[in-house]
Amino acid sequence: MSEKYDVIVVGAGNAGLVAAATTAKNGLKTLLLEKHNLPGGCATSFRRGRFEFEPSLHELASVGDKEHPDTVYKIFDNLGATVDWRYEHNTFRAIVKGCDGYDVTLQAGIDPFCDAMEAAVPGCRASVHRLFEYYPKVTDALAYITRMKGKPNGLVMITKHADFMKIASHSVEDVMKSLGIPEKARNIINTYWGYLGVPTDELNCMHFLNMLYSYVVHGAAMPYKRSHELSLSLAKVILDAGGEIRYNSEATEFLYDGNGAVCGVVANGETLFAKEVISNVIPHNVFNMSDPKNIPETDLKLANARTFGISVSTIYLGLDCSMEELGIHDYTVFVMTDANPRKQYDDRKNKSLYIVNCLNKVIPDSSPEGTCTMFFTMPTFGCDVPKDLKPEDYKKYKNRLAEEYIEDYEKLMGIDMRSHIEEISIATPVTFARYLGTPEGTIYGYALSGWDNILGRISCEKDEYTIKGLSFCGGHAFRGDGYSSAYVTGDTIGHRVVNSIKGGN
Amino acid sequence: MKQNLRSLSRFDFLKMIPTRKAKIAEAPARAIPATDSYKPNELANALHPKCQHLIVSEITEREKDVKSYSLTPDIARGTEKLAYFSAGQYLSVALEIGDVKLTRPYSISSSPRESLDGRYELTVKRVDNGLASQYILDNWKVGTEVLASAPHGEFTYEPLRDARQIVGLAGGSGITPFVSLAKAIADGCEDANLTLIYGSMTEKEIIFRNELENLAAKCSRFKLVNVLCDEKVDGCEKGFITAELIRKYAPASGDYSIFVCGPQVMYDFVDKEIEKLGLRKKFIRHELFGEYRYPEKNDDYPKDAVGKKFKLTITICGEKKTVECDANVTLLNAMEHNGIAAPTNCRSGVCGWCHSRLVSGNVYVPKEVDGRRMADLQYGYVHPCSTFPLSDVEIDVPPFRL
Repeated sequence: MSEKYDVIVVGAGNAGLVAAATTAKNGLKTLLLEKHNLPGGCATSFRRGRFEFEPSLHELASVGDKEHPDTVYKIFDNLGATVDWRYEHNTFRAIVKGCDGYDVTLQAGIDPFCDAMEAAVPGCRASVHRLFEYYPKVTDALAYITRMKGKPNGLVMITKHADFMKIASHSVEDVMKSLGIPEKARNIINTYWGYLGVPTDELNCMHFLNMLYSYVVHGAAMPYKRSHELSLSLAKVILDAGGEIRYNSEATEFLYDGNGAVCGVVANGETLFAKEVISNVIPHNVFNMSDPKNIPETDLKLANARTFGISVSTIYLGLDCSMEELGIHDYTVFVMTDANPRKQYDDRKNKSLYIVNCLNKVIPDSSPEGTCTMFFTMPTFGCDVPKDLKPEDYKKYKNRLAEEYIEDYEKLMGIDMRSHIEEISIATPVTFARYLGTPEGTIYGYALSGWDNILGRISCEKDEYTIKGLSFCGGHAFRGDGYSSAYVTGDTIGHRVVNSIKGGN
Repeated sequence: MKQNLRSLSRFDFLKMIPTRKAKIAEAPARAIPATDSYKPNELANALHPKCQHLIVSEITEREKDVKSYSLTPDIARGTEKLAYFSAGQYLSVALEIGDVKLTRPYSISSSPRESLDGRYELTVKRVDNGLASQYILDNWKVGTEVLASAPHGEFTYEPLRDARQIVGLAGGSGITPFVSLAKAIADGCEDANLTLIYGSMTEKEIIFRNELENLAAKCSRFKLVNVLCDEKVDGCEKGFITAELIRKYAPASGDYSIFVCGPQVMYDFVDKEIEKLGLRKKFIRHELFGEYRYPEKNDDYPKDAVGKKFKLTITICGEKKTVECDANVTLLNAMEHNGIAAPTNCRSGVCGWCHSRLVSGNVYVPKEVDGRRMADLQYGYVHPCSTFPLSDVEIDVPPFRL
């Protein structure tokens, strides 16, 4: 059969865009297929009236700046994609309601962060600081493991990287307890669990520390023109390098050759062949688009063993008053009914945790003068959507949800948002199921729970994904969820495919 | 005492991979469940199907040159249930008229409740030179197969945003979304009050008069005021929809939201009147602008383009075609009139469904229908439905999809 393309990338989400940009830029004939009419998946924007809303990004980690570029900055820079980054130097404000509650605002920078922690929980500074001191040990060990191509010497690990072995194999809570970080301090720092969707008694500490360190050292970054800017900047790289992007082109079938290797896809009824296919689409959906006889048992069992990651419900408000008039001063506020992440997770249907962002704090002109936008995020699983919810009751369900959270926040902050709502849009896992097509509307692929942590994913990737000619990138892949992890998997897989095609025949 | 990681075992590390492998080994090798089997996906598909295959089941002759079409699901072609909608939303209907392939958005004029029983109603009025309306009125018969989109549109009552008291301003065939809203209020789908000020030229041209008067008689939350500009008739206001007239029927105290839907000539007049009321922007909701005409009337339009013809080169999935495009014709219309089906829904610049990349050339986008995102301007993307050529133009367009 004739191979029309070197590479077909299915899905123009964050990882798919970077993967396609990488292969195109390295001279491979690349086709990127996207079922929607825009690139980005979650990384997009939408307009209502005079507002342009950011649909999903709260804070992009691992960016840094020109002087101190971190992973994401380097990926964009190496591809030649330009982004107008804006920065937020507070990490977050955490409010726990009730008499045992607290209201703490933390700053970026390890020392300011630790100082604020000390002020909130006297006596905790040294132990919190120690947590950050372990970060270089983790990166050293990971660099060593990578150098050894995933087969490190046991003796070297035990003698030189024992701390890493401990951090990589224990939960956030276990590691923090062993460092003597007091409970209240743990709870404050662990407010961040919501960004990874797994509570900290189950979340792998190595992963969490990586995210925490990145936010605390560099602060968070936001693209000036919403995430649509990120996605279009990557699309430009692909097109400038001679790659092809087809929108409204949903892949409906994955094609396999006689040896069980993926050799192409069908999209819009057209059969398209390639030497390699990169899927930004979750394995569950790919297997549903494949002849079952081509799915090896290993791959199928892995998919069945996993649970879906978290989705979210979100409220987007365009208000006809400025954030100052409204009385809002923070970019990110976490509101909780209980300080403990596990309780927040278990009780999520009862407003146990939600996040409120006001983008005007980071980007003052992100909405017209005299207006501001508010963005509510509530961790929600697809299975939290009531089983008996009928299509005709869905709008009422959304409105009731939004009303409850808006009222809750108004009461907490002593502000009036209701009378200023000029535009409103509400999303739930149903919305994400619609736009992303993921099972249960998951935005994070597979949950990073317990055994399915990133170290396990990275170590076993080669044994677990056995279909030749097919690689996976995105939140469901080896680095787990979030924009930055998705970009990293796109970068890694893109380069791997370049090497495989250019190094091969 | 300085605490370190002493209490944690390093050997747990060695168990990580075996634990993972064991978990996977004990998982079943059964087939992956269909994506639709999950509740969020099932709901998403029910509310937003990729398209709807419908069939004309009944035609109601209304006033001169106006007909209502009952559409029911065409099970044989795969549509079992109609997608539920909010009063005020529209369906984009795909049409092939000779060599021309186009779509038209029509507001649904039935209540959302009726869609549960398998019925939408679209109401079409003949427009002078209106290719689609003439085609539908002359060709759709009982049994005609219709390909339509899922319901779209933002011209809906939103209880967290709008005042519960709505003053609707309708002109001509712009009555259709209000008919749906009035029915939805009467049958309890929407919890709002509607005072509808409906402008027509003459009494004969009032569409849905009987239905609306019956609804108003039965439902205290819905009031109807007919306004005629060309004749004086008892029971109707004479003249235009002015600020003074709106004040007369709007609630004397408390907030109210104005919803406006009608032809462009009506917007030109009514928008200025609404301005006089000094309402906050949030209380004024506008239905789609509709096909933009006469861009050359705008002050910022480059006058040297008037009357010119340009070449429009279109690439869809790698296939290139070149057609002619007059300066006062949108890129979308030029494509459609040359038999090129392009994705579009609102045809008014806002929904972004026709989002396409401007490869080269200069274009004009009227401010009031420029619904592009900020990054689109930076990276050169256009919405062809609201874009006019100022030179030869090349665009990359996604394949057609409803």
